[in-house]
Amino acid sequence: MKKNLKFLAIKVLTLIFLLFTNQVLAKDLRIKISSGQVEPLPVAIADFTGQEGKANEIGRLIAEVISNNLVGSGQFKAVESAAFIAPPTSPSVRPNFTDWSPLGIKALITGSVKRIDDQQVEVEFRLWDVVAETDLIGLRLSVNSKAWRRVAHIISDEIFERLSGDSGYFDTRIVYVAESGPQNKRLKRLAIMDQDGENHQYLTDGSFLVLTPRFSPTTQEITYLAYFKNEPRVYIFNLETGQQELLGSFPGMTFAPRFSPSGDKIIMSLATKGITDIYTMNLNNQKVTRLTNNSSIDTSPSFSPDGKRVIFNSDRGGSQQIYIMDSKGNNVKRISFGKGRYATPVWAPKGQLIAFTKMLKKKFYIGVMSPDGSNERLLAEGYLVEGPTWAPNGRVLMYFKQDAPVDNGKSSSVNLYKIDITGFRETRIITPSDGSDPAWSPLLAN
Amino acid sequence: MVKSTFISIGLHVFFILVAYYGLPSFKIKEPIEQPIDIVEDTPISTKTALKQGNMKDKDIKKIKKKIIKEDKVKKITPPPLPSKKIIEKKNIELIKKQKLKEIAELVKKKPKYKINKNKNVSSPQVKAKPEKIKQKQKTFLAKGILKTLTKPKPLKIEDKVNKLQKNNKDVLDKLRQIVGNSNKRVVKKEVKLSQTEYDKIKNYIGKCWDTSIGASEVKLIIPLKISANMDGSINSVEIVDSSLYAKDTFYRATADSARRAVLDCSPLPLPKNKATLFKSFFFDFDPSFIYRY
Repeated sequence: MKKNLKFLAIKVLTLIFLLFTNQVLAKDLRIKISSGQVEPLPVAIADFTGQEGKANEIGRLIAEVISNNLVGSGQFKAVESAAFIAPPTSPSVRPNFTDWSPLGIKALITGSVKRIDDQQVEVEFRLWDVVAETDLIGLRLSVNSKAWRRVAHIISDEIFERLSGDSGYFDTRIVYVAESGPQNKRLKRLAIMDQDGENHQYLTDGSFLVLTPRFSPTTQEITYLAYFKNEPRVYIFNLETGQQELLGSFPGMTFAPRFSPSGDKIIMSLATKGITDIYTMNLNNQKVTRLTNNSSIDTSPSFSPDGKRVIFNSDRGGSQQIYIMDSKGNNVKRISFGKGRYATPVWAPKGQLIAFTKMLKKKFYIGVMSPDGSNERLLAEGYLVEGPTWAPNGRVLMYFKQDAPVDNGKSSSVNLYKIDITGFRETRIITPSDGSDPAWSPLLAN
Repeated sequence: MVKSTFISIGLHVFFILVAYYGLPSFKIKEPIEQPIDIVEDTPISTKTALKQGNMKDKDIKKIKKKIIKEDKVKKITPPPLPSKKIIEKKNIELIKKQKLKEIAELVKKKPKYKINKNKNVSSPQVKAKPEKIKQKQKTFLAKGILKTLTKPKPLKIEDKVNKLQKNNKDVLDKLRQIVGNSNKRVVKKEVKLSQTEYDKIKNYIGKCWDTSIGASEVKLIIPLKISANMDGSINSVEIVDSSLYAKDTFYRATADSARRAVLDCSPLPLPKNKATLFKSFFFDFDPSFIYRY
């Protein structure tokens, strides 16, 4: 009897012990998901609703621009509005998600346009997660009705950032060289437009040749090369005032200018007596600093986003290659070692990559590599592809492209293209005439 | 996390020490669960009856040859009826008493003992303890009964032994009910997903996970706490790191895509009888696969 009790007691204690340890050591099951896809996200962009005809029309146009932006990024897939089961709803009304989920839609964008007075409109939108049945973001903007396109770009950026995590690039502009006329009498003008090709404007009249325009980080100024009275010089163009200013007075030819990340310096090449070296000029005190001192041609300099390093191309090793140095011109090191020649290196806004032009076996390529020269990838190729420029989020590159001359020897047209850094979705930017040397602005909203 | 682990280890050590030194009988290596398992393999009675008979016959024959060679004829010829009956009765009573004692001891002691004793009588393992058998046989021989008595008796006694064994089983079952089946509890704790089941769910969710290239900026695993119903449908999804979700746009977008994957994939293909594991569990989303793109 005693023994029975003893064993019973042991059993009970063991049970308590096991229960206790079970509670303490209880570990929930964990399953690691290490595979997935990067596919365009299916979204529905309903026309923004309005109370009357004009507001409705603006609402429809805004929805159209948002759709073009998102689809153009390659990260979204817009579901045709004809497939919608339910009519577009006001952003303040929670949608019936069961009307949208059967269409495979993951995100829904609803919005409204309300006229405040003859000029002002109030635009409101809301982004819904159809699967989680929750709203993700909402925004209300009061703007001039003529600025509806800008509003559409701002909304596109908000949606893009919320769904991808990356900052958008839709509320940006492109400055480029608009080309027209025969090859022997080519007219080259500075032009500016929205990143989608809309709101196109010429900045110069074509009376002198312009090349390599580059945006300032403040977006209010552009630096470029102009052959004024047949003398190539670096100029600064103020977009607000329309004024042009010559950057310093140098004994030789200055070209390939680019702003520093802080916007207070210009880095450029200066050619004197057959030698081309890299210089910086402080815009505040006009102080000029020489960074390279070599008998070779050093050109196309570009600052790293932190301003501590500079990449450039040079033929000092016998062929045109990419080199890196610190911002004072020390510790020069070659980083490109692939076959062919490398030119026009541009540091990505986030610093993770360097875009470049490569020439190999009578073909041109646009590629990217790590700042140490590793992980080289070629994204685009053609008879002539050149002059890459980064979107402010560092996900998209724009460049110009020209096909081989046609049979009668006539040059093909030159056009602007953009491509994402995965190398997919090369898209042409429609311009009124031929275009080259594009430069992407930072986000206007900043 | 580290602190709680140390507390847990400390508590475990404490309980183990208390159990080890506080309970003297704990040191005796007496497997508690073992008897329960063996008792469940019931059909001992039939085997024991058969083998018991055989064993006795063989042993008796050997003893006959050695000790009582002259009485071979006598063995065959039945003894006078009245004396037989009396002896039979006495022997039956003796055997009954012995068996009952054994059974009583079995009930008092451990099931293991019971089985061993039963096996002493019957199973081949009995050979490991021949002395007891010899002693029993000697007692039978000493009382001069042997042969004729041994064969009919076991059947009757064993029926009763079986009944008693059943009673013992009932007692043990009741004990088990009172104390709880520790074996079963241990088994429940050890319920785990097989690698195939794990991979099945992993791949199932992976196929549903569509994310953006921005996920490449997320250098962390994104844990989602999931509660699933018995049928695999999702009861709730919780993004665990709410602070990172609030301040990191890449993390937020990727976590949202992970949440969509879980909800889109509902119901989950849960393995049968293991749904309890999924009452509360985690999916750890690792966006590093994005570097392939």
